[in-house]
Amino acid sequence: MTTPAARSDGERPAAREDSFEELYATAPCGLLSTTSDGVVVTVNDTLLRWIGVARDDVLGQQFTDLLDSGSQLFYETRYQPVLQLKGEVREVALALRRPGRDPLAVLVNSDLVTDATGSPVHVRTAVFDSTARKGYERELLLAQRAAESSEARVRVLQDASSAFGSSSTDRALSRALVSSARDAFAAAAAAVLLADDSDMLTVSAGSHPLDQSVPLGAARPETDAIRRSEVLTFPTLDDLRAAYPEFGERLATTRYEAMTVAPLINEGHPLGVLVAFFGRRRTFDDREVELHEALARQAVQVFGRLRLQNELVQLALHDQLTGLANRTLLHEQLDRVLVTAQRNLRAMALIFLDLDGFKAVNDNLGHATGDTVLRTLSTRMEAAVRRSDIVGRYGGDEFVIICEDTDEDAARRVAERIRAVVSESVEVAAGYAISASVGVALYSAVLGTAVTAERMFHLADDAMYESKRSGKDRVTVVRAT
Amino acid sequence: MTAGTVDVLRRNNVQVLGNPEGRPMLLAHGFGCSQEMWRLMVPHLEDTYRIVLFDQVGAGDSDLRAYDRGKYDSLHGYADDVLEILDELDLTDVVLVAHSVSAMVGVLAANRRPERFGALVLVGPSPRYLNDTGYVGGFTQADIDGLLDALDSNYLGWSATMAPVIMGNAERPELAMELTASFCRIDPTIARHFARVTFLSDNRRDLSAVRTPTLVLQCSEDLIAPMTVGQYVHQQIPGSTMRVLNARGHVPNLSDPLSVVREIQDFLA
Repeated sequence: MTTPAARSDGERPAAREDSFEELYATAPCGLLSTTSDGVVVTVNDTLLRWIGVARDDVLGQQFTDLLDSGSQLFYETRYQPVLQLKGEVREVALALRRPGRDPLAVLVNSDLVTDATGSPVHVRTAVFDSTARKGYERELLLAQRAAESSEARVRVLQDASSAFGSSSTDRALSRALVSSARDAFAAAAAAVLLADDSDMLTVSAGSHPLDQSVPLGAARPETDAIRRSEVLTFPTLDDLRAAYPEFGERLATTRYEAMTVAPLINEGHPLGVLVAFFGRRRTFDDREVELHEALARQAVQVFGRLRLQNELVQLALHDQLTGLANRTLLHEQLDRVLVTAQRNLRAMALIFLDLDGFKAVNDNLGHATGDTVLRTLSTRMEAAVRRSDIVGRYGGDEFVIICEDTDEDAARRVAERIRAVVSESVEVAAGYAISASVGVALYSAVLGTAVTAERMFHLADDAMYESKRSGKDRVTVVRAT
Repeated sequence: MTAGTVDVLRRNNVQVLGNPEGRPMLLAHGFGCSQEMWRLMVPHLEDTYRIVLFDQVGAGDSDLRAYDRGKYDSLHGYADDVLEILDELDLTDVVLVAHSVSAMVGVLAANRRPERFGALVLVGPSPRYLNDTGYVGGFTQADIDGLLDALDSNYLGWSATMAPVIMGNAERPELAMELTASFCRIDPTIARHFARVTFLSDNRRDLSAVRTPTLVLQCSEDLIAPMTVGQYVHQQIPGSTMRVLNARGHVPNLSDPLSVVREIQDFLA
């Protein structure tokens, strides 16, 4: 093995650069200088070779002319301000145009060179080929975007699932759906409209910029989404104007420019719609439409469950024969009405009635006819009371009416109407005289005394017996003191 | 002071300086930077004007927790912020100097509440960056996609993915941003959304409603807001004045601050 012999400096010229000019020209990175406002004044061979352009085509040009359009935007809005403020930029990723070829991905460092007074004179820039890194990074970036996009979707649906699941009313569920939709679609406004018995869609939560209610028969995006059973998207005001001229013109007076509608349909039965509004023109891709569908599907499941629960609650609190409030619900409601009366210093009344002559109908015409009579009388009583009164069946042929915010005169009028409608003949029991013995217990919080629900039932029951004892088909009124 | 006062001023990192007796001048920065981009102009204005600087939510030292994607999905959300700042400080006869995308934010704000404004100075405005039928905005959808790629390459790509890991603080990426760019700090995720909102909005029909005296300041060679766009803005805003700065690029407030100041002073004189 031999060791290279030592040589004097003069004997190894190949190890030295011939000149700094050559170093500049053929450095393993692109180099260029511009004036402070970006005109190229010097460029090295390496950069010209990379981008395949002649020197004369670069000198005197703007540095931005060398960039592809995405990089130009970035250069003007980001690179330039930072360079001017900080005096340098480091490792900025840009793309250089190459005639007839794909842009060259580069990393760029620039320094702002100032004169003695601090005024900018030149910008010196070094350019590094980052094609290899860029290719790898591009894959990473695409993977990251895809991951973020599906992660965002999963997150939206998970959040929605837990928010929807903890909603116990239609309104709370509507609010959760509005919140999920605003979050998922970056919507400026959103609303849930629910269909009611009178064929109207009415805002249940969120805000609709134009209407609180929309008739189901109207020609509107909301109703068409239900009719067509699909998500409708309107990226611009013009799209809306074309399809719904009147609605489009009205929306043009607001700050909203785009809209989506997702129908909420449960096993063919329309529940309502989710609408979202956007403050600028938007594009809605398949993923966003699918996300609308997924959110709507989740919400519909919970709306369905809530309706089922409501039906069960209805069953538990109502009399199966007449559909009136049952004893449990009556006690609940009486407690509530008493508390309200005491808090607001108002009066209330409890009406208790027992049918006279009903036993004969049951004994002679059978229970089925008796049931029909009870249903008929229930319907009559509900029609005879005021909207705020609560009619219930206490058991057998006993009925109760709770009258909120009611003084003696009003209570007597209600009791008298009840007595009158019960004594009218019932077709299936023609020839049988049925009447009502009615007891009314009055309570007024103005007197300052408190009273329990039990006491009120007791008083009304006693008053009812008084009516029975003194000849039936009459009203007896007592005061709780 | 109500709680709301603190929130708005904190949210937008509002700074009030200059002549307390002077006419109020609100300086609104555009996409890609923060209130720092007025740094070279402020010294020439603060003797005369009561200067109000602020950061758009997502930029500078704004409160990132205030970023509501729905609100800021259009320029209306940013216009709301401008009006709230003016309300909190109770300013009238305001000169709004608005750069780039903030020019349209200013137009929306002035149209909604003209009684607050005395003059609009729009620096490099564009109501619509994308080309459209009969309109040349200067960009295609592919260009905007390219910008989003460039943003991702610079913030959300390699460096932004790695920097929080290196710093051991992946939960707070804003710390990493502070290291990589202490100037014109912007939150990368918000910047991406702001870029979409900025470059995909169309505010052409808002121009004709402007009733505030308006100066359009156009750079002679501006790729972002070309001369034809500046002329369009000038033609659409009734009674507006247009002045062309002999300046290259889109940020004359940094490249030629004295000329911008002079044009503003001439216009307001």
